[in-house]
Formats: sequence, structure tokens, C-alpha cells
Amino acid sequence: MTTALLAPAGLTVVGLVLVPLLLVVRNSFASADSYGGIQGGFTLANYQDLLDPIYLKVFGYSLGMAGLNTMVCLVLGYVVSYYLASRPPQRQMLLLLLIILPFWTDFLVRTFAWINLLSPGGPVNSLTDAIGFTDGPSQWIPSQGASFIGLVYAFLPTAIFPIYASLRGVDNSLGEAARDLGCGWWRVHSRVLLPIARPGMLAAALLTFIPTLGVFVIPVLLGGGRDQLVGNLIVTLYTEFRNQPMGAAASVVLLLLMVASMAVFGLAARRLRRKTA
Amino acid sequence: MKGTLVMRGRTLRRTVLAASIATVTALVATGCGGSDSDSAGGGGKELNIYAWAGEIPETVVKRFEKETGIKVTLDTFDSNETMTAKLSSGSAAYDLIEPSQYSVQQLIGQQLIQPLDHSRIKGLDNLAEKFRDPSYDKGNKYSIPWIWGTTGFAYNDKCIPSATSWKTLFDEKYKGKVYMLDNMLAAYIAGLQVTGSRATSTDEGEIKKATEALTDQKKILAGYNSTNYPQLLSTGQACAAEAWSGTAMAKVVAANPNVHYVIPEEGGSIWTDGLSIPKGAKNTDSAYQFINYLLKPEIAAMATDDGGSASANAKARDFIKDKKTLENPAIYASDEAIAKADFLLDPGKAMKHFQQGWTKVKAS
Amino acid sequence: MKHALDTVTAWLARGVIAFLYIPIIVVVVLSFNDSEITYKWDGFSTRWYGKLADNTELLAALQVSAEVALISATLATACGLLAAMGMARLRGKGKAIFSGGLFLPLIIPEIVLGVALLSVFGAMSADLGMTTLVLGHLVVTLPYAALIVLGAYNALDSSLPEAATDLGCNAWQAFRRVTLPLLRQPLLAAWLLCFTISFGNIVMSTFTNGVGSTTLPLRVYSMLKGGLTPEINALGTLLVLFTLLIILGVGLRQMRRVLVGADRS
Repeated sequence: MTTALLAPAGLTVVGLVLVPLLLVVRNSFASADSYGGIQGGFTLANYQDLLDPIYLKVFGYSLGMAGLNTMVCLVLGYVVSYYLASRPPQRQMLLLLLIILPFWTDFLVRTFAWINLLSPGGPVNSLTDAIGFTDGPSQWIPSQGASFIGLVYAFLPTAIFPIYASLRGVDNSLGEAARDLGCGWWRVHSRVLLPIARPGMLAAALLTFIPTLGVFVIPVLLGGGRDQLVGNLIVTLYTEFRNQPMGAAASVVLLLLMVASMAVFGLAARRLRRKTA
Repeated sequence: MKGTLVMRGRTLRRTVLAASIATVTALVATGCGGSDSDSAGGGGKELNIYAWAGEIPETVVKRFEKETGIKVTLDTFDSNETMTAKLSSGSAAYDLIEPSQYSVQQLIGQQLIQPLDHSRIKGLDNLAEKFRDPSYDKGNKYSIPWIWGTTGFAYNDKCIPSATSWKTLFDEKYKGKVYMLDNMLAAYIAGLQVTGSRATSTDEGEIKKATEALTDQKKILAGYNSTNYPQLLSTGQACAAEAWSGTAMAKVVAANPNVHYVIPEEGGSIWTDGLSIPKGAKNTDSAYQFINYLLKPEIAAMATDDGGSASANAKARDFIKDKKTLENPAIYASDEAIAKADFLLDPGKAMKHFQQGWTKVKAS
Repeated sequence: MKHALDTVTAWLARGVIAFLYIPIIVVVVLSFNDSEITYKWDGFSTRWYGKLADNTELLAALQVSAEVALISATLATACGLLAAMGMARLRGKGKAIFSGGLFLPLIIPEIVLGVALLSVFGAMSADLGMTTLVLGHLVVTLPYAALIVLGAYNALDSSLPEAATDLGCNAWQAFRRVTLPLLRQPLLAAWLLCFTISFGNIVMSTFTNGVGSTTLPLRVYSMLKGGLTPEINALGTLLVLFTLLIILGVGLRQMRRVLVGADRS
């Protein structure tokens, strides 16, 4: 019975993820031919090349950007999820649909809308002029700020959905009861609601943090392609540079970094839980 | 009380479910309406094409289907690299592809395309001189050029009165107002030519010099952009930008008299996207039929009229309805302008120098 | 009694939802722009809607996207639910390994997984097409579905299905009558998110689609070189407005039902 339940997801992961992953690991030790194909052989050169400080800079910048994005998305995601969960059940589904709906228009179309909005003389610029924040045309785009807005925008639903899924079961009366017992607003949230939302928050953090590292269109279109994320690096290696083996090596390094940070993350979470318990 | 809640929940679930199913069926239905008209011909004859978006206009495909009864499926790619990856997997069942010139060299090297049977091709002499027997594919053995264009730069004369040289893009006066194409090979055309080398150079020292020039240039750049730079030039957000000729650039040049597209005096570069038949193609008869159809001047003219690109077919000029396009330098560059322009070639073994250089530029 | 901070956060939440619609408003406005250059207002026109109706390539791509998203979201959600139920019966190492496996597709950059999948399909000499595309999207969406459903399933009070079993329900009935209704919202949330992710996916589609299965985002992405045309704004507008109408329709009917229900009680 258990096997039958686990089989569909298990087979998918083994056949469509694990097998390809082994191929990637193998390729990371191969060398590239000049046409972009993969020559066999065994070499560590791809990993040695990655030790160049240039790549360290890219990894560092990506981690920072992803961390910041995750934090902002988590805070906003929690606020929205709390709002959703405190609506009548019928309304919750509608609001959920309302949140996901904008993402049914094409990603590039939305990104170009942001470009139009943020361009000098565009609506955002006019608004900041009107309130006296700026004076005349301002260069909002391309910039790291624009890139960041794009990232938050793209990942908000990914953060909202898991948090909502774990919060929605909360009986409204639970918070009220805590309040009646003299808990202040902050205590109700930190002692009652946040612990309930924790699995969702963890999931949201993972679903935001990791994919942010792989993003490559947003930094190009909104950030002007000046500062690369790991995603840009790997895409360039795979396509323009025709150097799949090195791209594979960069992916393996990224993967190990992820596993390591997840382990640290997990340990920290466990220690935290023990303390509060 | 609890009963009504459950009931309400259940009906809610049904309505939401029904709503989403309705949405999706409606989507599918509109799509179906579209694809129905595609299969007008039928008859079991097929042709699967893999091409750049918009370069083989829908009108061209529809007319071919009507004339021959062959059912055409046209899929589009966004880069030569994507297309090559698909072909080399051996799982993509295409009969006709549209690689750029340097990609043709790679595809030949990887043995992914087959030599063309010239006895089955009619109308090759309709092609313009420079596309017959080109440097990247001697004797048009593997590819038949279909459309072409140039790599140069564009500027807005409200900001720069006039410009003829790549040096404009390296000028500190325009700091924060200059964009480069976000493409390694394109950036190195400028980098190599501005330091006095040829765009086709594979010399390590010359590439190094170009890398230094491009690294210095990054300080004055607003960014790298290969998508909406025509828009940035038109609104004046960009004073100058490295640019590809073609639909997007041509529209802005035609609409805004302040924006000019030039091929730099250092030479610039020309590119062409042509037709090749992959190894193992199933419907080669249809593929040859389509190649011959595209070689007809009146069909080739549609690449300009309906697609906004320059046709490699010299005789097509007479059939082009909108004569203004012939004067638009962002579509058809004059013969003098491209006198010094080379086809950009596959860097081959020099690729690693470019890779090291470009990584440095990007990370600086 | 409502705390003042509740009001503040409620408004913040509404603000965030409104923020999501900012670019959509731009898309809607531009879809009625007569200008061929998308960023310059040139007077009101509906001509792009006419052009859209003629653009069979775009509509065919829309159909492919809708089908793929529908199938892969359903598969991913089902796999996620089954996996969540199965994992609840696992203990210790097995559980850790399995949940780690579910994360895997998330940790590998999509382009790497896409290229590797392409070689696997090549090695199996499978023809690229709808099937490979759906499989690719299943891989991308599965972690999202699994994480959402898993979180909700673990929060479920396991005594409820047990009570149902004690009361004489068989396993299927307990699942159908108790577990499934309790998981309704998270399942729908998971499905919606998966549908949306699949519907907008570019990278995985690039490497897994084949003859006749070019998705909408791929079509749009490949149009970038020649410049996006306003038809795409028209399409975006139609998709959003159409769904909005349905949501509002459902919303109104529900409102009425609530009112009628209130009358009766």
C-alpha cells in the first residue's frame, strides 16, 4: 500500500530527475569539444576553472539577492496569508484565484509592462515627481532595484500559497481565545499563529530561495544584464559558451551549496524548536 | 449547522472546479479554432519546420499549404544554441531548419545536417551574389540563405549629432546612455573592430585586446540589452546602442526620424539565416519542395512585406510591394555600407578565449 | 474586538494583491493602443484583437499551453497527494530520503535538468512532443505540489480518518469522505500554483517540446528578437478578463447562496 502510494512520485523523481542528475555529474568531469558537444574522458579542469574569484563573486551576489528576496516574500506572504485565512471560507478560494490570476498573462508581457512603468517619464516616475520625491526624468531602469522588484513580483505567489495552505486550518477562535487570555497582538502572532504557519513558511522559503538562484531573464531585462546571478552564468555556459561540462560543474557546485545550506537551515530550525519547546 | 457548512463547501468546490474546467475548455476551444484552419490541406503529406519566430511569415506557410496540400507544422526557437541542442539529442523530428551562418558550420561539424541534392533545387541563381558560395558554406552545399541582416549600432541624433564609428559606443561623454547587445559574439564584433582587428579574428592576442576594450567600456554602459534597445533609443533613454538590423529596429527607424541605424566604418558584420535539412529527416521531398518554393522571387518578397526582414533573393526586390523598406537601412543595408562587413564565423577552437574574455567582462 | 494592527495588516495585504495587478493594468491599456510600437500611446483601437483572431500560430500555442498545464498540474497534484499519504506511513531514514528526493528537481537549475532530460529522451529515442513536454513540466511542478500538500496533510488531525475507520468506513471511504474534503483547499491551492507555473514555463519547455508542441511562452520568447507585437497584450488582457468574469460570476452566485442560506436559518 505504502509502495503504491509512493510509486508515482518516486518513479518520476528516479526516472526524470535522478537519472538525468547522474548524467550531469558525469558530464561535469568530461571535456567539451569545440562544437559544444561532450567528449568523454575524465578531468577536474571544469571544477578548477570555477575556483576563479570571478565565479565566487557571482555565487556571492546570487546568495545575497536570493536571501533578500526570500525575506521580503516571506513577510509579505505571511501578511497576505493571514488576511486570506481570516476571511470567510468561501471568499478564500476566490481571493486565491485573484492572487494567481495576474500570472496567467505571459511572464515576458508582464516584465515588459514593468519596463514601461519604470522608464523615465513613465507612470512611476510621474508619481514620484508629483509627490516631490524626484525631479524630472529618473533612471529607475535598468537597475538592481528594478531587478529586485521583478524578483519579488515573480515569487510572491510561490510564497503566499504554501503559507496559506498551512494557516488556513487555523480556527479564527484560536487567535481570539489567545487574545481573551490577555495576549497582545504580537504575542498572538509570534506564539500562536507563526508556529502553526512554520511548515508553510519553511516550504515558502525553500520554494523562493532556491529558484531565485536560477533566475536569468529578470536580471537581464530589468537589471540591464550587468550583475549576473548563478542562473545567468549557467545559461551562458550551456548556450553561448557551448561549454556544457563546465555548466554541469557549476550546477553540481550549486547543488552542493544548496544541500549544505539546507542542512544548516534544518539544524537551526531544530535547535530553535527545542528552545521554544 | 455543520451540515450546511459541508454542503456549502461541496458546492463551492464544484463551482470552482466547474469554473476552472470551463476556463480551460474555452481556452482549448479557441485554440482548436486556430489549428483547424491549419490543417486545410491534409492528405498525409507533412513538413515539420523549426525556425526563428516571424522569419517565415504565416502567409508564406499558408500559401504553400494551399498550393501543395502539404501540412506544415512550424515551431520556433529563440537561439541557434537551443535549436542545436534539440537536434543533437536526435529526438527532434524536423525536416527543415533555419540556422544562422555560424551555426551551419557547427551543425556540419557535428554532422547534424545533410548535404543538399542540388539537382533537386531550382532557382538558386535568384540569390544575391554574396549569398552564393558564401565563406561559411562553400557552394551552398548545406544551406540556402533565406533572409539576412547586419550587426551595427544605432543612435538618437537628439543626443549625438552624427556617428559613424564603433568609437561612439566607447565614448565617456555618453556614460550611462550606451547599451551593448547581451550577446558574446555580437559584443566582440565591436570589441575586435574598435581595436583594429577583424570581426572574424581567432587570434588570442587580438581577443585579449578586445576583452580589455570591452571591460573598460562596461564602466560607461547603462547595461546589456538585446531585446528592447530600439525602444530605449526611440525614447532617448539610450543615446547609442549596438544593434541588429531587422523588424524591431526597422520599425523604430521608420517611425522616429531621430533614430539612425548605421554600419560602422570599421566594417560591422553581416548574418544570414538559411534553410538546411537535418540528418534523418523523414519528409525530404516536402522539404525540397518548400526550399524551391521559398526560392521563388514573389515568395521571397513576402519575407520583407509580411516579415519585415531582408530577403537573400536578389530578384525579390521587384516583387516587394512596400518600396520604402528597400530604403530602410535597418532592413536593407546599401552595398557600400556592407562592403567591409564579413560573415561572422564559428570561432572553433578560439571559443575558449572568447569564453574567458567575456566572463571577465561580465564579472568586472 | 479588532486590533488596530489587524486593520493595518489587512490593508497591507490588499495592497500586495493590488501590487500584483499593476503590470496587468498596463497590459490592458496597451492592448487598446493603436500604435504598432508597444510603448507609445497613439489613440484607442481594438485592431489588435482582430489581429489576434487571425494569428493561428499564437492561438495554437495557447492551446498547447492550456493542455500541458491542465495535464501536468493534475498529475503533479495527484502524485503529491499520494506521496504525502505514503510518507505519513514511512518512518526515519526512508522518510528523509524520500522527501529529499522530492526536493531534487527544485535544487537543480532548470536549464541543467532540461538539457539532461533531453539527453535522456534522446538515449531512449523517444520522439519529442506532448508527452515529453508534460513529463518535463511534471518534474518542474511536482516539488511545489508535494510541499504544499505535504504541509497540509501533516497538519491534518490523523484521528479523524481513524475515527471514520472505527465507525465502519473502509479505507477508500475514509479517504473520500474525510481526508479529501479536509484537504480541499490545499489541493486546489497546489493545483492552481502548478497550473500557473506550467502555463508560464519557458526553460523546461525549451528542451522538452517537439514538433507541433510550441507553448505560448516559447512562442512569445522567440518573438523577442523581432520585437513583441501588441497582439500579445490583447491575448493577455483576454485571458485575465475572461477568468476575472468567471471568478466574479462564481463570487456573485456564492454571495446569493449565502444570503439565501441566511434567510432560511
